[in-house]
Amino acid sequence: MTRLVEVPSQFDDRSFDQFAAAYAQATSGAGGERLLFDAHAAEWASPYGLVGLLAAGEAAGGGERPLLTVPSSAEVVSYWARAGFFREAANLFEIHGKVPKTKPATESEVLLPVTPVRAAEDVHAVVSTIQQRASAILAKELGLDPKATMGFAMALSEACQNIVEHAGAGGWVAVQAYNWRRKLARRVVVIAVADAGVGFRHSLEPSQAKRFGDRWGDAAALEAALIQGTSRFRDPGRGQGLAGIRRYLARWEGKVAIRSGTARIAIVPKWDDDVPLRDGLPAFPGSQVLLIIPEQGSPRA
Amino acid sequence: MIQHIKVHDVLQQSVAGFYTDLVTRPTGRAVRESIERALPAGTIAVMDFTGVGCLDYSCADEIVAKLVREKVRVLLLRGTSDAHRDAIEPVLLGHGLAVVCEHPDGTLHVIGAREPAATLLDELVAQHVAARTPGGAIALTAA
Repeated sequence: MTRLVEVPSQFDDRSFDQFAAAYAQATSGAGGERLLFDAHAAEWASPYGLVGLLAAGEAAGGGERPLLTVPSSAEVVSYWARAGFFREAANLFEIHGKVPKTKPATESEVLLPVTPVRAAEDVHAVVSTIQQRASAILAKELGLDPKATMGFAMALSEACQNIVEHAGAGGWVAVQAYNWRRKLARRVVVIAVADAGVGFRHSLEPSQAKRFGDRWGDAAALEAALIQGTSRFRDPGRGQGLAGIRRYLARWEGKVAIRSGTARIAIVPKWDDDVPLRDGLPAFPGSQVLLIIPEQGSPRA
Repeated sequence: MIQHIKVHDVLQQSVAGFYTDLVTRPTGRAVRESIERALPAGTIAVMDFTGVGCLDYSCADEIVAKLVREKVRVLLLRGTSDAHRDAIEPVLLGHGLAVVCEHPDGTLHVIGAREPAATLLDELVAQHVAARTPGGAIALTAA
């Protein structure tokens, strides 16, 4: 028997919980049954949606590889291909549907195609690539000080290192720039990082669970990591990465949101109406990190 | 005697692959261990960041903070960009440490925690490594 996980038609951080609920339902009590990720109705996916789908594919791949039906829209499939999604998905899913043999984009809005992060060398490659490609976009299109490119690379490095240092499994990162008409009427650059590893609660449990007592859970773990800067390592120099990301985003009115397990935490800038902390969400493996940096200055007409 | 460290060169020698960015803990650890092997404990050291691209918090902690905490008496940074200092300063503050930065005009300034910062420049002057300029700033006498 095959269990269905529907991919939302507009697949981003806002619709991710809908996807996570479908995933949780399909995997609950499943005795090795094969999953079918159905993306045929997908009209758009953000980098967060794409790397999240890969994380789901990896988590579901314990036995037989899960199935994936590609979007029915040729335009959408082409975009996912240019974003580098299918190159990675081919290793995780049995793909059904026609996928164009397009190389991941080297120009335009895909600043970094979907890229695997498994070791420190991958982080080096990501940082090197992004500095070459993001500088012009950040300065000309987002109005950031040219010096901000280095901070951007630093934030990206720290976000990716969370996978290498804490996840216990590989993950993916993607960076794109696009017009965000719905929320801002401005250009934004979005960094999305996802893995299907152990998640924040499991990572921090040995050092933090006792301190939080009955409150301990996914939400408390996210709070400890993002707000209090705690780390599973005793070394006092640890836990600086997320704090550094927060500082960088605060300087540029950016947003950071992290989902792990059944909780999601966000540092919400003035332009957004997200909720700072949500608990009791549908369970989803690993951690998913979203960083958004908006165009500086007035919204475009 | 002042010890000189060219960070970019150490990075090239310590890590496989041609990297100019100081990112990730393993890279930071490899670079620091290379530096430590060549550096006598308790010395005054000049660390030159010329040619280094991105420096992240992990490397700032692994290299700069740990050398100041465990190895050198005074660490003087040269060739740093604003972005490098943006990574280094919060890490130093977190540990209650401070280092001396040499600006392009040769003057010395301290970044990091206030308490150790107050004594760093005095120590360089006392060791005759630095002196007051006619304008009242402090600069290295010979390095």
